[in-house]
Amino acid sequence: MSYDDDEERILRVWTPVILRTILVVAAALLVVGLISMAWQSPGYYVSHFRRLQGNSRYQNRESWSDLVLNGIHGEPHAIMTVGLMVLTLVPLARVAFCFFLFLRQRDMTYVFLTAYVLMGLIVGTVLGRVG
Amino acid sequence: MLTIMGGLLGLAVASGFVGALSGLGGGVFIVPALLIVAHVPMQIAVGASLISVVATSAGASVAFVRDGWTNLRAAMVLECATVTGAVTGAYLAGIVPAWALELLFALMMLQSAYFTIQKAGDSVVPESDALAARLRLGGRLPAGDGNAEAPYGVVNVPGGAVLMVVAGLMSGLLGIGSGALKVMAMDYVMHLPLKVSSATSNFMIGVTAGAGALVFLARGDVATVIAAPVALGVTAGALFGSRVLPHVNVQSLRIMFVAILVLIAVEMGWRALRGF
Repeated sequence: MSYDDDEERILRVWTPVILRTILVVAAALLVVGLISMAWQSPGYYVSHFRRLQGNSRYQNRESWSDLVLNGIHGEPHAIMTVGLMVLTLVPLARVAFCFFLFLRQRDMTYVFLTAYVLMGLIVGTVLGRVG
Repeated sequence: MLTIMGGLLGLAVASGFVGALSGLGGGVFIVPALLIVAHVPMQIAVGASLISVVATSAGASVAFVRDGWTNLRAAMVLECATVTGAVTGAYLAGIVPAWALELLFALMMLQSAYFTIQKAGDSVVPESDALAARLRLGGRLPAGDGNAEAPYGVVNVPGGAVLMVVAGLMSGLLGIGSGALKVMAMDYVMHLPLKVSSATSNFMIGVTAGAGALVFLARGDVATVIAAPVALGVTAGALFGSRVLPHVNVQSLRIMFVAILVLIAVEMGWRALRGF
């Protein structure tokens, strides 16, 4: 199989399918979270929104394992947060696809460049967590 | 609850729709809408907007990649610059006072208005310069509309990369895709064909905004009750806008877009002065 065929198959067939799947899963989680919140605790949504309007600095740093566990137990806020996290996987997945494509082609300049971008995304996450 | 959620969804759908029609993206409109209409603080508006930019761009660039308009190598080289800028910008957004962000937003709106007026012209170069040739950034315009495939070159990669750092910085600080700045860098500085610049910019926007969104999410700066309806609404509005776009004379709407951008710039500038 030539490089062009490889690029065609990975970039133009599989990437859109997988990216759209991630997008649909994220959207489904957000919709389920919003509906659950409207059903279970509409008062929380209103009071939380009003509190946010008055805050110039908002911070809600929860542990990721707690978020996932709460999400599994049907806690609406956790379901939505997990949905937002899944959504941010889309760009990560896109760069990761390109990384593996260039790696397959043994194009080391671009392997290095895509690795830099991936590292940037990971460093951003760490920086946000500790900063 | 339904009134607030419905209001946020409405604002988001309208922002995504206008963003798609104007070609500037929903982030440019949802941040001021959240600030001015929903009275949400700047930092929360930026976090929600970054998430919505990621959601919108996920589907937007697929057609361009499929049809061969996206210059993938140029995107990868320039993403090194935009991601560096976006991570720095998103980190700084947690430190910089709101009035400074609002002032910066006002200036970006004026830049977008200028871009909307100037949006024309294609100064394609036939051959790449030494660095671009070494990076194999040149490409071919896809055949179509009776035209055969045509080669194009790329020049001034360092100049383009510097502007891309600025575009990333603005994205992380202000929650926008910075598409206008990216297209300007590729079109005017690197002399890529305009449609290739737009397609490549579309591809890059998600990664740039994603870098900023990850910093915001990891820091716990994304207010879920706002970001969730905003992400869904902006995406729905952008999808609707992209469907309507082929049937609308965008040229006739250009004056209206410029007027909206200038009005937003004035309001944001005034807010910044009051907050200073």
